[in-house]
Amino acid sequence: MKMTYVKRSIITAVCIALCVVLPMAFHSVKNAGSIFAPMHIPVLLCGLICGAPFGLLCGIIGPLLSSLFTGMPPAAILPAMMVELAAYGLFTGLFMQIVRTKAVLADLYISLVAAMLCGRVLAGAAKALIFSAGKYSLTVWATSYFVTSLPGIIIQLALVPAIVFALQKARLIPLRYPEAICK
Amino acid sequence: MSRLPTGQYIYGESPIHLIDARAKLLSFILLIAAVVLASSFAGYAAVFCFTAALLWISRLPLGTALGAIRRLWLFFFVIFLMNAFFFEAENPIFSWWIFRLSYGGIAQGANVVLRVALLMALSSVLTCTTTPMDMTSALQSLMKPLKIIRVPVEDVAMIISVAIQFIPTLLEETDMIKKAQTARGARFESRSLRHKAECVIPLVIPIFISAFRRADELSTAMEARGYRGAKNRTKRKKEPLKARDLAALFISAAICAVQFCFR
Repeated sequence: MKMTYVKRSIITAVCIALCVVLPMAFHSVKNAGSIFAPMHIPVLLCGLICGAPFGLLCGIIGPLLSSLFTGMPPAAILPAMMVELAAYGLFTGLFMQIVRTKAVLADLYISLVAAMLCGRVLAGAAKALIFSAGKYSLTVWATSYFVTSLPGIIIQLALVPAIVFALQKARLIPLRYPEAICK
Repeated sequence: MSRLPTGQYIYGESPIHLIDARAKLLSFILLIAAVVLASSFAGYAAVFCFTAALLWISRLPLGTALGAIRRLWLFFFVIFLMNAFFFEAENPIFSWWIFRLSYGGIAQGANVVLRVALLMALSSVLTCTTTPMDMTSALQSLMKPLKIIRVPVEDVAMIISVAIQFIPTLLEETDMIKKAQTARGARFESRSLRHKAECVIPLVIPIFISAFRRADELSTAMEARGYRGAKNRTKRKKEPLKARDLAALFISAAICAVQFCFR
């Protein structure tokens, strides 16, 4: 059974709210906020579950609301973060729509990894061309998006599919291949 | 953590509370531009005095309105020190090992800290004096031009409004889950990265399950009451902007324009 437009909208709203709440929960665990990048998780999930347009919206509004309500991310890095998260939300939704291997786990991982790569490339390009034009190098990009955030990448790759399966098990989102259960 | 650190609406009848949310939002954008454009002492002084005046006129409790800035004092301090000691290598006032304290660095550090603090104070004034419903309605009005590129403005405004209303509920629930996991032996204070990761997983999955359950209940209730998208909803006719709203816009535009004179 497909999710209705209203349900997708409300799930997007909840994911946006989690973009504000999760970093606050993580920041109470010492250094966890900067290591695990908690705002990425609801955006990736929103794209995977609700689709590209909703993921895009979550990626734009989530950091904006968080900055307004909690002051994090600071206004100086907010535009770059909005581009990065919007790209994650958009690409996870797009890849989830395109990739259909008949195995949910494979679909999830292919979509996640591809979206994370596309998002990082797009955010890097935006920084190099707009936000830090002339002061941004390939080394800085590789270090900030792949080395410093490695624990975050690992935890996101472990957590996001686990959350999707947990939500499916709780019957809060529809199964991706319901015919596989019927056989 | 059970309550929002800043930005929650505080009831009041101050002149700032009474300004139309559309005018407040537009003024906020103009003031952000003023903060970004400020580059001289006089420019910063103008924005600083105006922000202080806004806080005074809005009669908000300072502890709440500036709570986020107070909580981030260590962040501000580190940013200031890093700029002061590493920004400029030439003409240092004091130099030792890799540290070079310079006037340029001190000015840059003060510049960054002041800019972020002013933006936080302004956003606090906006969110503390505007109800979430007014904010949504204002966003909807201001986003109307996006209809040209087929953005469903009404739905986006509804999503933002629901998200804002979910934040305090989810904060409370997250706090409860965290306490429950601590009681079960989760070691949130551990220094080891592995322990941190181990305690993050049992914290995040229940938060998502509980949040999605709430989303499921709300969407079912909305559909059961015949909600089929915000596009066809009726609403009270918007009043035109009054003199005080136009005055707020004019003053904010003037503060922004003054920055060009002080550059």
